[in-house]
Amino acid sequence: MSAIVETQGLTKMYGNVVALDDFSHKFEPAHIHALMGKNGSGKSTLVKMLSGVTQPTSGTMMLNGRQVEFKSPQDAFEANIVTVHQELSLVPDLSVTENIFLGRLPRTRTLGIDRINWGQARLQTEELFTRMGLNIDPKATISRLSVGQQQTVEIAKAMSFNPTLLLLDEPTSALATKEVEMLFGLLRNLKDQGVTMMYISHRMSELAEIADTVTVLRDGKHVGSIEMAASSLDTVVDMMFGDVARATRPARSTDISKKNPILQVKGLTRAPAFEDISFDLRRGEVLGLAGMLGAGRTEVLRAIFGADPHDAGEIIMDGQVVDTPAPGSMVDLGLGYTPENRKEGGLVQAHSIHNNLSMASLSKLAPRGIITKAVEAPGVAKQIEQLQIKVDSPALPVSSLSGGNQQKVVIGNWLNTDPKIMFFDEPSRGVDVHAKQQIFQIIWEQAATGLSSIFVSTELEEMLEVCDRILVMKEGRLLGEIDPSKTTLTELYTACMEGL
Amino acid sequence: MALSLFRRYPMEIILVCMYTYLMLAAPGFATLDNQMNVLRNITMQGIIAFGMTMVIVSGEIDLSVGSGVAFSGCVTAWVARALTDMLGPWPAITIGAIAAMVILFLVGVLTGKVRQHFNMPTFITTLGLLTVLSGAANLITDGFPITSFPFQFNFLGAGILFGIPFPVYIFAAVFGFVYFLMNYTSFGRALYAVGGNLEAARLSGIDVWKTKTLALGITGVLTAIAGVLIASQILSGSASAARGWELDVISAVIIGGTSLFGGKGTVRGTLIGVLFLGIIVNGMTLLNVSEYWQLVVRGGLIIGAVLLNHALDRSTVKH
Ligand SMILES: Nc1ncnc2c1ncn2[C@@H]1O[C@H](COP(=O)(O)OP(=O)(O)OP(=O)(O)O)[C@@H](O)[C@H]1O
Ligand SMILES: [Mg+2]
Repeated sequence: MSAIVETQGLTKMYGNVVALDDFSHKFEPAHIHALMGKNGSGKSTLVKMLSGVTQPTSGTMMLNGRQVEFKSPQDAFEANIVTVHQELSLVPDLSVTENIFLGRLPRTRTLGIDRINWGQARLQTEELFTRMGLNIDPKATISRLSVGQQQTVEIAKAMSFNPTLLLLDEPTSALATKEVEMLFGLLRNLKDQGVTMMYISHRMSELAEIADTVTVLRDGKHVGSIEMAASSLDTVVDMMFGDVARATRPARSTDISKKNPILQVKGLTRAPAFEDISFDLRRGEVLGLAGMLGAGRTEVLRAIFGADPHDAGEIIMDGQVVDTPAPGSMVDLGLGYTPENRKEGGLVQAHSIHNNLSMASLSKLAPRGIITKAVEAPGVAKQIEQLQIKVDSPALPVSSLSGGNQQKVVIGNWLNTDPKIMFFDEPSRGVDVHAKQQIFQIIWEQAATGLSSIFVSTELEEMLEVCDRILVMKEGRLLGEIDPSKTTLTELYTACMEGL
Repeated sequence: MALSLFRRYPMEIILVCMYTYLMLAAPGFATLDNQMNVLRNITMQGIIAFGMTMVIVSGEIDLSVGSGVAFSGCVTAWVARALTDMLGPWPAITIGAIAAMVILFLVGVLTGKVRQHFNMPTFITTLGLLTVLSGAANLITDGFPITSFPFQFNFLGAGILFGIPFPVYIFAAVFGFVYFLMNYTSFGRALYAVGGNLEAARLSGIDVWKTKTLALGITGVLTAIAGVLIASQILSGSASAARGWELDVISAVIIGGTSLFGGKGTVRGTLIGVLFLGIIVNGMTLLNVSEYWQLVVRGGLIIGAVLLNHALDRSTVKH
C-alpha cells in the first residue's frame, strides 16, 4: 500500500529552538496513527505543518505521492485535511450551529433574495449530533459551554467536512469516558470508510483501544514507529522518555479524617447550575469532585472562588464566614484556582512566561505595590524547575510553549501564591504521563505540609489515584461520598453516570 | 547584526536617521533655539500621551483629552478670576489648578465605573465626554478667553530654567513617574495583565476594574496638568485650546508600538512616538512643506509605523 502522507527531512525551527528535527516517515492510509511524546516534543508542530498553520523550515511533505506546500490552513483544507487543534479554536460569541458551519452556512433564495437558511443549518447540526450521539443544544452560545462540550463541538465540526485525512491534536484532553467512547466509535467508523487519522493524546490507555501504529517523538527527534498490536504500552513509554527516572509519590500516612475542616460549604445554590451543595474540606486533604461533563463541578468551584455569583448558601473558610467571595479577596485568604481552560482563563498568551508565573502572586510579592523582576525571579525559577517546564527563556511569550508546558505555567502561577487551599480544575489537561505524576507528587507533598485541595478531573483513574475522598456530583447535585481505596474504576464510573 | 539592532529598536533608529537628515537638510533645524522649540511643543501632548499609554495598555481608550485640556485651563482661569481678589493671584491659581485635576480625575473614575457597571465601552463614554467637556469649557468662559492670570504665570508654560523650557522638567518628571508605575509596581503589572486577558487577570485575583479606573483617573490628572500649562503659555483660559489633540496623543502612543487591543506597549515607546511627531512637524515646517502635505505625511506615518511594528512582531515570534 502506498503512503497517504510521507515526510522527508521535515524540520521546523523557532529561532534557535528545533521543534521538529529531520522527520522522515510514511503514514499508511486508512489507519489511525498515534503520535506520542512528552510535552514539547514536537507533536503539535508536525500537525500544524500538515494543516498549513505553520510552514516547515526545511524538508518536504507529500500527499498521495505528490509534493505539497501548504501556505495557509485554506490550502490544507482544499486537500481534504481537517484538523482539531490542541487549543480550542471556536468563536466564543457565536452559536454552536454558526461555529460548525462558519463560512459555509446553507443558503436559500426567497423572492429572489439570497439568504442564510437558518432552519436547515440547525437541522443539519441536529442530524450531525444525533449521528454522533451528542446531546448539545445547537442554539447554545459557545462561551457558555464547558471545555469538554466545546471540544465535542470542535470534533463534530471536523467530522462535518468529510475529510480524507483527519488530524486530532489531543481531542480527548477534556472529555470524560462516555464522550471518549463515542469519539472512538466515530473514529473506527471513519477508518472503515478509508479515512486516515493522526491522533495525539497523553492518555496512554487510549492507545491500545484506538491506535494502529504509534510514532514517538522526543525533543523533536523521531525515536521510532511501531505497530501497536505487536507492542506494549511500556515500550511506548520507554521510547517517549528514555532513561528518565519515573516520578514516585511519597507514601501518605496522616489520617485525614481526624483533621479539622478548613473550608465548609453549606447549601450553596445557583439555579440552574447547582443546588444545595454542602461539604467539608479538611486540612491536608485532597478531595475529589467527580461527575460527568456538565455535572456542575466547575460551576461550584468558581462560585466558591467568587468568579461567579451564587444565590444562596454559606462559605466558611478557616472558621470565617465569607459573605461575598471575589477572586481578589479569596486569593488574599489563601485560596487558589487553576481554571479548566488555560487559554481563556489561565494565561495571558502574549505575555512572557515570567509574568504569567507571577500574575497571581503580585499582591504577595509586593505588599507595598512596588515590584521588580528580581523579586519575582526566584518564584519563576522555582516553578520552572519543580514542574520541569520546558522553556528556552522565561522572557519568551507563553504562547511559544507547547500545550502541556502552558498548563504547567498555569499551575506554577498558583503554587507561587503559597496557597492554603487549592482548587485544581483539570490540572493535568494536556500534560504528559511523566509530568502528570510530578504534579500529583507536588500536590501530595504540599498536602503533607497542610495544603488542602479540591481536585476535578474527567479522568476517573486519576481521581482514584490522587484523592483521599471523592464526592460525586450529578446534574448540579451532590449525590454522596466515595472512598477511593475501596472503589474500582467501574464503580466510580457507574456512580457518575447513574448516581450512588 | 545591523538587522537585529533594527529589529530591536526600529523606531529609535528611524528617529535618529530622520533627525540626522533634518540636521543636514532643514535650514535652522540644528539651532539650539529650534531644538528647544521642538521640546517645548511636544511637552503638553507628551504628558497626556504617557497617561494614555496606561489606558490603552489596559485595553481602554480616552478620546476626551483634547477637550479635557481646554476645560481644565478654563476651570483654572475661572477660579483664579473668582478668588484672586480674596486670596491673591497665586493661591487662587493653585486652587484652580487643583480643582481642575480633581474634576478630571473624578471624570476618569466615572468613565471607569460606567465601563464596569454598564459595560459601556470607554470609546463611547469618552467620545461623549469630548463634546461634554468642550461644552462645559464654553459655558465657563461664555465663549471668550478668560484672561485672569498675572503675566508671571507665563513662566510655567513658557519660561526657561537653566537653558531648558520649564515644562520640559514637568514632562520629564511625568515620564519618570509613569515609567516607574508601569515597570516597578504591581499596578503596572496589573495594567498589562488586564489588557492582555481580562478573564485570566480577574481569576488571578487582580482587581481589574480598579486597575482600569485608576489608569483613566491618572490620565485625567495628567490632562489637567497639560491644561494648566497651556493656560499659562497663552496666559488665558480658552475653550478652543487643544482642539483635536486626542488624535495627536493617540497617534504618538500607537507610533510608539502600543497595541490598541491592549496588553502590549511601553511608555518608552510613547516617548519615541512623541519625539517623532514633534520633530517631523517642525522639520516639515522648516522645509516649507505645505500644511496640507504635512497632514498627509503624518497620517501616512501612523499607518506605516503600525505596519512596521506588526511586520517585525511577526518575524520575531512566528506562530
Ligand atoms: N511559536 C513558537 N515559538 C517558539 N517556540 C515554539 C513555538 N511553538 C512551539 N515552540 C517550541 O517547539 C517545541 C515543540 O512544541 P510542540 O507544541 O510541537 O510540542 P508538543 O509535542 O505538541 O507538546 P504538548 O504535548 O505539550 O502539546 C517546544 O519546545 C515549543 O516550546
Ligand atoms: Mg501539543
